[in-house]
Amino acid sequence: MTPAHFTFSTAFLLGLAGLAFHRTHLLSTLLCLEGMMLSLFIALSLWTLELNTTSFSASPMLLLAFSACEASAGLALLVATARTHGTDRLKNLNLLQC
Amino acid sequence: MFYVMCIFMFGLVFGLMVVASNPSPYFGALGLVVVSGMGCGMLVGHGAPFLSLVLFLIYLGGMLVVFAYSAALAAEPYPEALGSRSVMLNAGVYLGGALIGASFFWGGWFDGLWPTADEAGELLMSRADAGGVALMYSFGGLMLILSGWVLLLTLFVVLEVCRGSSRGALRAV
Repeated sequence: MTPAHFTFSTAFLLGLAGLAFHRTHLLSTLLCLEGMMLSLFIALSLWTLELNTTSFSASPMLLLAFSACEASAGLALLVATARTHGTDRLKNLNLLQC
Repeated sequence: MFYVMCIFMFGLVFGLMVVASNPSPYFGALGLVVVSGMGCGMLVGHGAPFLSLVLFLIYLGGMLVVFAYSAALAAEPYPEALGSRSVMLNAGVYLGGALIGASFFWGGWFDGLWPTADEAGELLMSRADAGGVALMYSFGGLMLILSGWVLLLTLFVVLEVCRGSSRGALRAV
């Protein structure tokens, strides 16, 4: 594994770990998701450049477009959470009472 | 050039460690800005200035601005940065994990003597990444229209999720 591949693979796994072990805020979860998307963008771009398959360069752009959709959906859910529970802290998501 | 690429790669991993240790969202967004800056530097070093500028424009200028003002929803009187104990513990665990992972591949990296090859040469006007993106407008026209349609649908999704008074998608809002 070349150092560049190791870099974005580690970045993806770190973002995944931050997503799984989120602590207080829902927004930090969404930020870790954005970090994963960023590492995927860099991965696709570097593969395009290192393998000299330039027709693949459109895929990072499309990934960015769909990632923008996903980020806005996540933020809409965050706003809905803040409007229902008053804050986006995870301790407040306790409607189940268990 | 090699040392600059090393700095960019270290910065990417350390910046995402800052984001993944889940400090207050203000500092998480700052960490993402650093990560995307380093990632753009890596792309430029490999010969893709167009994709790097697209990343800066759309990601930093569009998405992270929205995250930054959504961070107002996460306002707290004492935001915890890297100085607090639990954040530091998380960052230390991630640093240890990354070092252990790097130790598996250290033998094949030849003590770091690996240059990047930008094979297109200097002062060229049409580069590989810009030419490839232009394909999105010709043969990839269907994907372009599909992405535009999906983006339009996302606007309506956001509208319906955030709509209030129990007439929208979430009744409790």
